Amino acid sequence: MEKPKLISYFNESTFIPALQARSKDAALDELVNCFVSAGFIRNGAIVLEMIKRREELGSTAINHGIAIPHGRTTAASDLMIAFGYSKRGLNWGAMDGKPVHLIFMVLAPPQEQNNKYLPVLGRLVEVLSNSTEREKFTQVTTFAEFTNLLKS
Amino acid sequence: MAEKIKTQIEFLVALQDLDIMIKEIAEVKELGFEVSAEGAATLTRARAELVQTIKKQLLSNYERLRSRYKRAIVPVKEDTCLGCFMRVPTSITAQGRTDVEVLSCENCGRILYWLS
Repeated sequence: MEKPKLISYFNESTFIPALQARSKDAALDELVNCFVSAGFIRNGAIVLEMIKRREELGSTAINHGIAIPHGRTTAASDLMIAFGYSKRGLNWGAMDGKPVHLIFMVLAPPQEQNNKYLPVLGRLVEVLSNSTEREKFTQVTTFAEFTNLLKS
Repeated sequence: MAEKIKTQIEFLVALQDLDIMIKEIAEVKELGFEVSAEGAATLTRARAELVQTIKKQLLSNYERLRSRYKRAIVPVKEDTCLGCFMRVPTSITAQGRTDVEVLSCENCGRILYWLS
């Protein structure tokens, strides 16, 4: 099966190179709000509730300073990803105990014709499991730099 | 009557959402995400409670379809079944909107619901 191309799921409107949030909850709120501000979702409260419920099942931090909060919601019409970087790091309850710097929030509608949700999650995990790639994501300041990383 | 059917359909959609979540939670766990045993048990408990609210015949139809398709109950959008993407006859659509009975797609057999 062909690997999904991550680049098409990101948008400059949902790219936050310097998160203001100082806690996990505030970061989730900030990322959900950027989807709302971009006009990609209408009801941010529903999405935030779903994302927080998912976190209750187990932290979405995947170690090495990365978290991928994710879930399906009726508020999303398409698969979409927001990116946020926290320089100071946030306590995400990661198994390795390290603070989270890179956050990728993945939202998907309940029904997708091409079922890309899990392959995209898997591809993100795969890309970010490479320590060199991870490091590069912490250096980006513009969306163009960010998308260049995804192309490579 | 219509209200009862509508409620049953809503319960069935909720059950399907829960079933998909239970399945996907297991799959994301394989990708390396943490899922607590307690969290997974909570979902299973919620499913058991939800099942009690659905009529046996409807539930058994749902379970039979679920063994065949990822989604047993699908919405109709623009007169199209979003399971097999075949056009649903106008007569069925007109009937479906009244919520008088549970209807299935004539092509794939999936249970249909109409987005209000």
